[in-house]
Amino acid sequence: MSAYNTESGFDPQILGDQVQQTQIAIVGVGGAGTQVVDRLQLGAYSAVKLIAANTDAQALGTSVAQEKLLLGRKLTRGLGTGGDFDRGREAAEQEVGAIERSLHGMDLVFVVASLGGGTGSGAAPVFADIARKLGAMVIAFVTYPFSFEGQRRIEVADAALSKLRSQCQAVIPLPNDLLVQGDDEAQNILSAFEQGDQWMESGVRAICGIVLKTGLVNHDFASLQRVLDGIGNKTLFGVGLGDGEGAVDQALAALKQCPLLHAPEGAHRAERLIVSITGGTDLGMSDVHRIANTVNEMFSSKDETLLGATIDEDQKQRIEICVLGVSDMGHRGVLKERKEIRIAGEPEPLELIEMAEPKSKRNPLDPGAKPDGKGPRVHTSKLAKKQAADSREQEEFSFFSEGEQRGFFDKTDRNLFDGADLDVPTYLRRGIKIYQC
Amino acid sequence: MSSSRVIGAIEIGTSKVVVLVAEVIDDTSLNIIARADCPTHGMRKGEIVDFKAVCQCAHAAIHAAEEQAGISLEAVYLAQSGRHLQGCYSVGVTSIQASDQRVTTRDVEKITEQAKGKELGDGRLFIHHIRNSFLLDGQIVENPVGLQGERLEVGYWSISGDERSLHNQIRVINGFGLRVEDMIVSSLASGSLVIGDAEKKAGALVIDIGSGTTDYALFKNGSVVRTGVVSVGGDHISNDLAMGLRVNRKQADFIKKKHGKCLVEKEDKQSTIWLYGDYTIGDRKITQYGIAQIIHARLDELFSIIKKQLGSFGTPAEIPSGVFVTGGSAALPDICKLAQMQFQVPSHLGMPPRWVTEDLRTNDYMTALGLLHYGLTSRESSPAQSSGSGNTLIKKVARILNFNL
Repeated sequence: MSAYNTESGFDPQILGDQVQQTQIAIVGVGGAGTQVVDRLQLGAYSAVKLIAANTDAQALGTSVAQEKLLLGRKLTRGLGTGGDFDRGREAAEQEVGAIERSLHGMDLVFVVASLGGGTGSGAAPVFADIARKLGAMVIAFVTYPFSFEGQRRIEVADAALSKLRSQCQAVIPLPNDLLVQGDDEAQNILSAFEQGDQWMESGVRAICGIVLKTGLVNHDFASLQRVLDGIGNKTLFGVGLGDGEGAVDQALAALKQCPLLHAPEGAHRAERLIVSITGGTDLGMSDVHRIANTVNEMFSSKDETLLGATIDEDQKQRIEICVLGVSDMGHRGVLKERKEIRIAGEPEPLELIEMAEPKSKRNPLDPGAKPDGKGPRVHTSKLAKKQAADSREQEEFSFFSEGEQRGFFDKTDRNLFDGADLDVPTYLRRGIKIYQC
Repeated sequence: MSSSRVIGAIEIGTSKVVVLVAEVIDDTSLNIIARADCPTHGMRKGEIVDFKAVCQCAHAAIHAAEEQAGISLEAVYLAQSGRHLQGCYSVGVTSIQASDQRVTTRDVEKITEQAKGKELGDGRLFIHHIRNSFLLDGQIVENPVGLQGERLEVGYWSISGDERSLHNQIRVINGFGLRVEDMIVSSLASGSLVIGDAEKKAGALVIDIGSGTTDYALFKNGSVVRTGVVSVGGDHISNDLAMGLRVNRKQADFIKKKHGKCLVEKEDKQSTIWLYGDYTIGDRKITQYGIAQIIHARLDELFSIIKKQLGSFGTPAEIPSGVFVTGGSAALPDICKLAQMQFQVPSHLGMPPRWVTEDLRTNDYMTALGLLHYGLTSRESSPAQSSGSGNTLIKKVARILNFNL
């Protein structure tokens, strides 16, 4: 990670007039994705471009997004996909030109979708792919269907998820099951979905905040890029909110309890962390310090923690902590993809080229076609083999890896009842967060 | 003159093999002369996954029991559990043909055959046919022969098992040179022992939570109306705890036994326990609340699955005598309250009847005792029963088991 220095790359003196604000777009794909984009209240981040994309013309008509993309005009004639995953994909592929135009020049693209249906599952990976090829960093926030929605939707969602993972720097799945907590029996379904939106919003705000806003602790886009470097990372995401007296402690406690961190996916530690703290004018440096220490301890981040703290004048005695962490899965194996970006992409800021250079040298994917490769041959070919193995492993990674969940019953037959595997702990299937001291 | 014979009962459980040897005196009383248990290896969720290991454990237990009793057994009763067991309800109906509208024995035979004549799929065998009450024009009657009516109906609860799984279990016993006298589904064995005749008559549900499986039997009008197996047991609770608290299996087992409870209570948020409690490195605090959350979720689900499987029979009106919880996990505090919440009827811990001596009055021997009890009573009902070899047993077990005794 320390092989290249990105801080020096963002010097406005060198880049001169080219320096401008980081371009961010949020794309809501499919019905649910569009709705989330509509409801996003970004306030201070008005520079962010909001795009709504759907195959259903009627639903798209009601959207308030700045830019609307009707997908698959020829294929579906604006009537939706009827839950057909392939039609969703084809519809998006037909509009590649329009998508490229609207995502052109973006540095950071958020793809927001609800997986399990047609448009969201089919088109979201296409958007991610295009954005990535245009050289943008892609972060996907996707919801994962309720387990009671049936096996088919879950299979579709799984397929879409693994596709997204191979195309995005970070994929944050929000299992809908977590919205219905055993704890809050009074919670109705509407407020449950609101909670889901709120999580997505917090995530988007946190990342935008780090890049766009000037705050107590500041970072640039390049450092974000470094933390989220690589494709197919395993991510963790959590939000904590504190209000009133002892807001810091409250927010930390809420973060510990955040159901997203107890998701069955099971990432409990991260190598690199992004911690965003948004607080009122009374947020002090000592609070920031304390939060950073606690969060680091919680996730045992080894490599790096990117800490951003911003002040929101309207929020007094209110603190929001948002954590996004990544661990490498098949880090080396995916560098191949990055190389392609360099070729296909637009001219990019200086530091990106610097980043790519040393890595491409270290990355002889095809030892035979690399006559200028330094070092002994035998060594490089071993490395390439290892990389190939790594990338395979990463592709096979699925959202609900069963081995991790069945423990003692790992090698026995599945114990199915009503479509649920009874060997998987009930609290995991019900999404109950285990209280910890 | 008093006659005596020796019978043996074996339960190959997921956590242990239990062998009981009893002397039957005058065909009326049981005198337990040996008991042995041995931890099982090679069983998961009530089914054999390692034949050799299971054989070794079972043979060790049988050997120990024989030594204790000072005799060598010839045949034993074997308990059956596991997910492969399935029950189905079938009905036989006829309208009374005779001019005086009196039910004849032929009518009864006809509907009995009709009800039992259900075809099974390939590789499946009937273990029990349990007769439910006769219905004469919708009225429950015990013996319809000679009564007047228009329409006679009988229902049978038939339990079938997977042929291969049954044969595997028999082979374990045969490997020691023993015959299997009869196979009895665990839920029937423990169920018939735990509750008395009054409860059987009124309607009661017995839930036996073992290590690998949970067996249940619903009694009504004196007979078994429904039985079932859910392959969830104490092992699942331990596994859930191990994963939820990130401890190893042994620690999870210890936590379950020492600190486990079934109901989540607010005040537990404050109370914590130490993982080791001996100030060693790696010792950490675990909240009582978290433990209760995990166990509560699992058992609540287990009870709701049983309720769901019972369908209309799981309603409070059908089980006025309540739910009786037995088996290893019945030792968890508050389990009765949880069952009561789920089934909406009073719940009790299943206890062996009073005639069982003090040292056998634990949940561990319930199924094996039930087997002996069955061995005693079944002889009474069919004294001339031939003792076939192990191979012909399969044909024999499909005989009528009548709990109306």
